[in-house]
Amino acid sequence: MRVGQRPRMRLDRRGVEAVPPAAMVAAEPAPRRRVVAEPAYLIFAVAEAEGGRLSRHERQVLGAARRLADPGGGAVVLVAPSLAEDAGAAGADRLLSLAAAERYDLEAATALLAAAAARYSPRHVLFAENEGGGDLARRLAARLGAPFAAGVEALSAREAVCPCRARRAELRLAPPFLLSLAPDRAAPHVGPAHEASPLDPPAAGAVRRGILTAAPLPVTAAEVPLAEAGLVVAAGNGVKDFAGFLRLCSALGATPGASRVVCDAGAMPRAAQVGASGTVLDALAYVAFGIAGAPQHLQGLGRVEHVAAVNTDIHAAMIARAELAIVQDARRVMPALLALLEAGG
Amino acid sequence: MRAVVLLSAGRHPLSARPAPVPVEMQAIALARGLGADVAGLHAGAPDLAVREALGQGMDRVTVLRIGEADDAVAALAAALAADPPDLVLAGNRGRGGEDSGLLPYLLAEALGWPIAANAVALAAAAEGLAVIQARARGARWRLVVAPPAVVTVHPAAPPALPFAYARARRGRIEEQEGRSAPLVPRVAEERPYRPRPRVIGVAGGGSAAERLRAATEVAGGGRVLVDPPPEEAARELLAWLRALGFSRSADE
Ligand SMILES: Cc1cc2nc3c(=O)[nH]c(=O)nc-3n(C[C@H](O)[C@H](O)[C@H](O)COP(=O)(O)OP(=O)(O)OC[C@H]3O[C@@H](n4cnc5c(N)ncnc54)[C@H](O)[C@@H]3O)c2cc1C
Repeated sequence: MRVGQRPRMRLDRRGVEAVPPAAMVAAEPAPRRRVVAEPAYLIFAVAEAEGGRLSRHERQVLGAARRLADPGGGAVVLVAPSLAEDAGAAGADRLLSLAAAERYDLEAATALLAAAAARYSPRHVLFAENEGGGDLARRLAARLGAPFAAGVEALSAREAVCPCRARRAELRLAPPFLLSLAPDRAAPHVGPAHEASPLDPPAAGAVRRGILTAAPLPVTAAEVPLAEAGLVVAAGNGVKDFAGFLRLCSALGATPGASRVVCDAGAMPRAAQVGASGTVLDALAYVAFGIAGAPQHLQGLGRVEHVAAVNTDIHAAMIARAELAIVQDARRVMPALLALLEAGG
Repeated sequence: MRAVVLLSAGRHPLSARPAPVPVEMQAIALARGLGADVAGLHAGAPDLAVREALGQGMDRVTVLRIGEADDAVAALAAALAADPPDLVLAGNRGRGGEDSGLLPYLLAEALGWPIAANAVALAAAAEGLAVIQARARGARWRLVVAPPAVVTVHPAAPPALPFAYARARRGRIEEQEGRSAPLVPRVAEERPYRPRPRVIGVAGGGSAAERLRAATEVAGGGRVLVDPPPEEAARELLAWLRALGFSRSADE
């Protein structure tokens, strides 16, 4: 840490002038990556990394993996198809890129994961307990006949706790080989980035095929329930042209949302209301047009990581919450954005 | 087409009384929607929850009697292999037992059948059975599996058929001796559920200064563009969305 030019004055009863230790004034070292050169063991954290990005839940899985790795000098291996962001910042010491030839081939993905586990013998393999991660975890558990703890809610190097009997009881056990972590049960990694050096992918094993084809279905964003949506674009009292707003949403592939004032006025359905008395979002990104950002509205954004706001008032709470804030009339920005999209970006 | 729906001894989360597991009842509705001949299968002691399932669209349930310490997968696999149906449906998670959602996978592995998880719709397809699968963030995948197959059902599937008392009375429960194979007990302590606070933001980990910063700093604190021309504002917004991976509009 850098201390200012002159050391702070101190009262020294000995009458000797205090001289700050040299180390205190040393310049801040360049940010260095934490390196675990010779890990005592490996912890796999498996992520789908949809769109090349780690979700909030997957960052939490990496955070939990760090908690298993750090006490014993282990290293965290992020296992993901391909990544467009820094795995080291999320806490990965190693990066294992495992991509099946066919992106939606669950059986090939399972075989690859089994091969990676055989080659690197990790101590534990962690998954996110959601539709995709939970499926992969169970496929691997059945394939390897390995012990598995599902939907773990508390995890340390000594024990894992998971609910059972209709959530009226819980199982406490030593962390088994395979674990899936429930959302919001572990903190993501903060602090210095780790090295994230690449590991060699294993040779693909034999794949047993039973799923003949797999492909994503085109789902129009407007059909996706607000709570499940990935991108929400919302209109507030500053928006008047709702037909144009809905056209913009469909052009962006976003699920439309609204503030309460707009829903009360009947301009948008109640199901679109974001906030304390509406829907709490789990979206990756949120764009607010003409929304003041009342506390009741902001409660609905509790878990959204990326927020952009367009508002005429620079002092609006929404502007303060936003990562990208644009002080401009929403009635002029929306048509401009639509025109830009229609012109092909 | 013949479908078998796996029924578990469900318990109500509040009263702990026997109650059918909702996703299993949704599974019956999905199977009936295919026009399949539907029967239920349960391994364990005859349970009240299983009898109630008869009122929701099934005429027949087979109970494979096995002991407390026996492996349900072995009993189910033996019964299904002896008389294989085209389709085995199960809930994606149980409610009242271990609730790990692992059993359908172990069963598929034991039978050597494919498994498709989290179905919200089923349809007959030319090459086999089309399964619409729920994925994270409201996405859907379409899988085609070759029967015989195991399919688990997601809570987002269409609702169950209404309960009909007369049907539940009329339905038959057939008891059979199940194949007994002892389950390898797992070393775990069971105790009453304790709700734990969810982790919000960044607690723990990092240095004290980092935790303080995470706790006190307002999220965002990002870029503020004051009075940009609307076209520039639009370009900035689009660039921001693209950087987050939302570029769907680009390939349309
Ligand atoms: C018990 C209770 C529960 C509530 N629950 C919710 C809830 O769940 N969800 C919710 O949203 N609200 C809720 N509210 C209401 C909430 O307090 C606010 O009144 C509401 O969110 C305000 O909506 P708004 O921001 O769209 O409108 P306003 O407060 O009118 O703000 C409009 C904003 O748009 C800006 N603006 C105006 N014209 C333009 C323009 N042309 N271009 C750009 N910007 C412009 C203004 O500067 C202003 O910031 C609740 C209130 C109570 C009391």
